[in-house]
This record gives sequence, C-alpha cells and structure tokens, in this order.
Amino acid sequence: MIGSFGEAFRLIFSGDSTLYQIIAVTLRMTLTSSLLALLIGVPIGTWLGSARFRGRKILVVIDRALMGLPPVVCGLFCYLLFSGVGPLRALRLLYTLAGMVIAQVMLLCPMAIGMMESHANNIAPQIRENTKGLGIRRFRTLLLTMNESRYHIATTFLTLLGRALAEVGAVSIVGGAIMFKTNVMTTAIMDYTSMGNFKTALALGIILLFLSLALNIIVALVQGRFEK
Amino acid sequence: MILPALKKTYQGQLVLDIPSMEIADGSITAICGQNGSGKSTLAKILAGIEKPDDGTVTSDAARSVGYLPQQSYAFHMSITSNLMLNKDPEKTKQENLAHAQQLLKEIGLESMAKKNAKKLSGGETQKMALARLLMKSYDMIILDEPTASMDTASIPTAEKMICDYQRRTGCTILIITHSPEQAQRLASHTIRLEGGKLCE
Repeated sequence: MIGSFGEAFRLIFSGDSTLYQIIAVTLRMTLTSSLLALLIGVPIGTWLGSARFRGRKILVVIDRALMGLPPVVCGLFCYLLFSGVGPLRALRLLYTLAGMVIAQVMLLCPMAIGMMESHANNIAPQIRENTKGLGIRRFRTLLLTMNESRYHIATTFLTLLGRALAEVGAVSIVGGAIMFKTNVMTTAIMDYTSMGNFKTALALGIILLFLSLALNIIVALVQGRFEK
Repeated sequence: MILPALKKTYQGQLVLDIPSMEIADGSITAICGQNGSGKSTLAKILAGIEKPDDGTVTSDAARSVGYLPQQSYAFHMSITSNLMLNKDPEKTKQENLAHAQQLLKEIGLESMAKKNAKKLSGGETQKMALARLLMKSYDMIILDEPTASMDTASIPTAEKMICDYQRRTGCTILIITHSPEQAQRLASHTIRLEGGKLCE
C-alpha cells in the first residue's frame, strides 16, 4: 500500500501524457458544468428564497427531492435523450464532453438552487424590509440580495465543483469513458481498478484530493480578501 | 391624510386593532407605546411591508412613502454607495453625491464615507440608514425607532436632521418611539398605543 503511494507520486511528476489528458478533460468538464449550474442556480435560488407566493413551498420540496437524484438516474435520462432513439439524437451529444456537461448541470442545478434558496430565505426578510422602505424595485432587490450572498456563492461554487469532481454515475453513462475523449478521473479510477492498475488509480485519487484541497485554499484566500 | 381602521393578528393573537384616524398633512406625529404595543406592526402595515387582516391601506401611486425599519440593513458596499441606492432621480449624479456627502457630514459619518458599510457598528448603521432615507423627497416617511441604537450624543443631531428634512420637503412624518420625551421634542401630535389598541 505504502509502495503504491510512492509509485503514485512518481507517476504524478513523471509527465505521463495519459494521466494529464485525463486531468485536463476532468477540469474542463467540472469547471464548465459547475459554472453553468451556478449561473442558472444562483438567480433562481435567490428568487425562490426571497419571493413569497403561493406554491413556493412546493417548488422548494421538488428542488430538495431533485437534490437527491441519483447520478445514474440522471445519466440514464440523458442517455435516453441523446441516444439514437432519443429526441435530441440530432445533436450527437452522446459520448461527448458537451453531453457530460449537460448531465452534470442537470445534477448540480438543484443543488445550487437549494443552497441559495436556504441562504436567501434567511437574509431576504431584512433586505426586503429595507429596500421596500426605500422604494427599490423587486428586480434590483434580487440583484442586491445576490450581491449580499457573494461569500455564499463562492461556497456554493466550491460545493458544486466538489460534487462534479466526485461524480461518476452520470458521466460514465453519458460519456462512455472513452480514452483521450471522455474519460475523466473518476471513470478512469474505476477502469484502472478493474484492470488491476492500482498505482495509476491511486495517483488519480491523490490528485483528486489535492485538487479539492487547492480549491478550498483558493476560496479561503478570496474570501479573506473580500473581508478586508 | 386619513389612516384607515386596521386589525392584525399573529397566530390567533390580536396585536393591532385601531380605528380610523386623521393625521395632519405636513406634520410630525409620534406613535408611542411600550414594547409589544403594536407600534412596529402599524408602521409595517402603513409602509406596505405587511398586510392587515382587516382594513386596507390604499397604495396611492401619487403618494410616495419612505420607511426606516427598526433593524437597519447595511449593504455590502461603501457608505456613500449605500446612500446612492436611494438617489433622487430628479438630480444629477454629482448633485446626489454632494447631497450624500452633506448628509454624512451632518450625521457624523463623513470620514467613513468610503468604508464598507458592513464594518459599521449598530448605531452607525442606523445613522447611515437614516441618511440614506433622507436622500430623496417623499410625501410621507415612517421612522421606526430611528435613534434606538444611537449613542445619546448623536440623538439630537439625528432629530435635527429629521426636523430639517420635514421643513425642507414639507412631508408628513410618522415617528415610532417608546420615548415620550422624544415624542414631545419632535412631534406636534402623539398617538398612544397599548396592547394593540389606541389609548385615549
């Protein structure tokens, strides 16, 4: 086991092109899907947490249910949409990075909405009381509420990125883990483990951990700057 | 202006039940009462923040109402930017900025104009929120305990700003306070509430 760790570190710094290719595909996919989910989820979640209307609670319950959607179910749904018999077959998204991003956005959006909804629900009453008192319109109040949530948005992004990095079910079904094209770190770990290549699998696992740690450090530094 | 008869209950408990009242236009009227007497509920209903169970506050588009809540909120931006959130649309940006600086000078926050408003203390936040409200002209303003968090030295300044604003704009002011002394200093009329009802 310890020997495997040593080998894994040697592999990381060896300049292995396959390994770097897998990392590059993973980063492209996770950063794109997390950013898209954030762009969609932040305004919707803030609105859902701030607004008061009939049926709001039903929407919140639906969103919370979707937050628990198993990735394989999402992957299956996307597979059926993109496959040769699906309604979106003309787009040729199956086994492509774009298809994997769409599947991940579908998984991550409810999470972004849910995280922003619960945060906005806490801060919105006081903001609304003040903005309404000044005669500020609803849309501007929504923008101000999002501005007030900047740290929470950063935390949400980090959480989405973590989820996207760790996700395997949907991307393996939609992407097919094609080497040099759609194979990402999690699907590659599964492949290498099943082939008995534990060193490469462990190297990828260590990189995943380091990526997560590095992202946490960056967000903490950014938050520190904002607080100054 | 006529304040309509209003009724409000929270979780089955009656918190406000007042008859219709007349308030002189262009006057300062104080609404006094102890904690839980229904003062803030009345202010929120009149400002359109809450809806009464019985009675209607007509939202007259021609009549603008400004409201300073008891818990002032400082937005995550500079103090000047906070004031500019309530800029007067009839003035130029430069005029609004000059007005903001003048208000900050009057309230004693001029040296902190560029500071992030989130860094202010409770009392300073209340001062900033008062200055922010006074940036623009309204037909009526409702102030809910506008000096409650301020230190005693700052209260006369804030009260002077409120009176100056009333003289300058001629607006009607409703000031919610638990202090009879403050009501006496500022208002020409006083309404007393007790247990959600008008106290004669």
